[in-house]
Amino acid sequence: MKLNRINVLSKDELQTIHSATMELLSTVGIKIDAQDTRDLLEKHGAEIDPETTFVKFPETLVKEQLKKVPNSFKLHGPDGTFNFEVNTTSTQFATIGTPVKIYDPNNKNNVRKSLLEDMIKQIRVVDSLEHINNSHVDVWPNDVKYTALHAHAMYQWVKNTRKPYGLGCYGKVASQDMINMASIIVGGEKELINKPRLVGFFNPTSPLHFPQIMTNGLSVFAKYKQPTIIAPEALAGSSAPVTLAGLITQTSAETLGGIVLAQLYNPGAPVFFGTVSCITDMRTGNSALGSIETALITTGVAQIARFYNIPSRGPGSITESKCFDLQNGFERLQTLMLAAQAGINYITCAGTYESTLAEALELLVIDDELAGVVKRALDGITVNENTIGLDIIEKVATAEKPGANFLGEKHTRDHMKNELYIPKLIDRNRRTTWRKKGSKDIITTAREKVDHILQNFKPPEISAEIEAQLKEYIKKVEARSFEYYKKAEGISTSSISIAGTEIKADEK
Amino acid sequence: MFEESMKKAILEWDEDGLKKMCQSAIENKEVSPVKIIKLIGKIMQFVGDRFEREEIFLPDLVGSANTVKAAIDEVLDPAIKIMGEERKTRGKVVLGTVESDVHSIGKDLVGSFLFASGFDIYNLGVDVPAIKFIEKAEEVGAQVIALSSLLTMSMDFQRQVIQELKGRGLRNKYKVIVGGSPTSEEWAEKIGADGWADDAIEAVSLIKKLLT
Repeated sequence: MKLNRINVLSKDELQTIHSATMELLSTVGIKIDAQDTRDLLEKHGAEIDPETTFVKFPETLVKEQLKKVPNSFKLHGPDGTFNFEVNTTSTQFATIGTPVKIYDPNNKNNVRKSLLEDMIKQIRVVDSLEHINNSHVDVWPNDVKYTALHAHAMYQWVKNTRKPYGLGCYGKVASQDMINMASIIVGGEKELINKPRLVGFFNPTSPLHFPQIMTNGLSVFAKYKQPTIIAPEALAGSSAPVTLAGLITQTSAETLGGIVLAQLYNPGAPVFFGTVSCITDMRTGNSALGSIETALITTGVAQIARFYNIPSRGPGSITESKCFDLQNGFERLQTLMLAAQAGINYITCAGTYESTLAEALELLVIDDELAGVVKRALDGITVNENTIGLDIIEKVATAEKPGANFLGEKHTRDHMKNELYIPKLIDRNRRTTWRKKGSKDIITTAREKVDHILQNFKPPEISAEIEAQLKEYIKKVEARSFEYYKKAEGISTSSISIAGTEIKADEK
Repeated sequence: MFEESMKKAILEWDEDGLKKMCQSAIENKEVSPVKIIKLIGKIMQFVGDRFEREEIFLPDLVGSANTVKAAIDEVLDPAIKIMGEERKTRGKVVLGTVESDVHSIGKDLVGSFLFASGFDIYNLGVDVPAIKFIEKAEEVGAQVIALSSLLTMSMDFQRQVIQELKGRGLRNKYKVIVGGSPTSEEWAEKIGADGWADDAIEAVSLIKKLLT
């Protein structure tokens, strides 16, 4: 049988959390900044408090909208040759995070600000990996103008990969740009809607707040049916109750609220029931993504997503470690393995460390290896006449000539690739051979693989016409000011915070 | 064409097919058995290269080696003998697990790798008394005696083979190499062996080095 799924909530507890979530949604609701979205909700029976802008979601509204949510969808690469399905039983692996730094062994701190060239390398590496199927704008190009970053990212996507891509639904202007550029790339909006290319991110602000800029973006992604991850990043003990049941209830309300919105914007819009919630470290106040409690939260959310029959997204390979030490290794695997065992359908954050603020391409290829290991674990043990192999046991055990063993048997050859995960980076040499090959640790081996991938990378071909149109589009985006965006989105903030970095109006 | 069919049989572990092919080629005087062995060497080189490039795995290599060994032992060697010819070999290695130890996989793997690299292997099996190694080496005119041991308890029997050789004044006639989990370079030196290898791939390069 397959490896047993792990659960942290009993049937009764699931029901209890569901009831509490419904109560929270219908009695407290969610603070929603966007007037047009509040109006839309009111039209469908929600109760609005105009002063506080809290919107109460009656249970009937939630239940009605949940009926429209698809439980599977496909994601396609730019040229349509590559695709994969996300459903309520899949285990897909992807990147995502907010790395604004990149590992650099030539830097005295081993890390530096990430640049556009790093982003390109990351997209190329993901393109070449076996198990990681999606990259996102996660390696932040600090050398690109912030207000045109999404346009540059879209351009690099089509130039450097055959796999789908993901971006934050950060505002309607930027989201529409991404949709427009994707439409240029794939040959029209219809094609984009029929075969989605982009994963959007909608992150509520916990507790219970949907900022205008996020709902603006969500409405665009939903309109074009690009799958959107609705994923709160609540911290137990600071932006959510310290009790994990409380956090799961609060974030379930936030996620369901987002999912209801997506269905109201466009019925049938594909969504992920997501989480990237973790705990607050009680000594520093910092988030602790690599904690064991994150894995428990992720497991609970996976169960709740199944309860609502919606594909889930959760984090794996996450760590607070700032270097390549044991903490980095065990936090990566503990979050990855438990997310997979919990049945998360889309596991993200490959390649990151330092609470996803830093990226290492070396870790990215290691995570691809780990994804292979995890998939093998999930496959469990197959039991049938052939795999028990009484015949072959008898043949080898009773062989008269010396040198009989299972290695040279067809049974071994026929079954080895299904039964055994054959690693590419993990070292199993004896010490002498290992020494002869340079006494390499896995980071060194991973770096060699990254170099090999990048040296042999053949970029996809795109037509001169599409290239020209995209460049023209980027020019148009670059000409806009920060003020233009603020006005278009109806927001009044003078700065935006990305991964702890304040970006002011006059800055890049 | 003949070479291609042989290659196919070897890659698919078609022992009977390979034997029949060799038999009929010899009977019809199409190809001499010595020439066939040369072709087999070339094919096994191809298999070994693929293994080194990590395109295939251990079972592929061992299975092909077993297939070839059956054809050589049962068809080609007897044919060569009848013709009164001699076939060239890279070297003859007597191989076994020493007395009191019945572990065989590591040693067999060394045998397969050596065979795939063109050596003649005389695999004596497990729990082999010192004297048996020496008798076999004398009988076949071997150059190398390779001793395996997985148990700390059985290691000392490796030393016994060397002492037995010394006692018979044969020590310099053979290269003696040792291997197995509890052994080490230091151990090999201590008991006066000619070399030590950590795994099967190392064993092949060690023997190549010792015989040049």
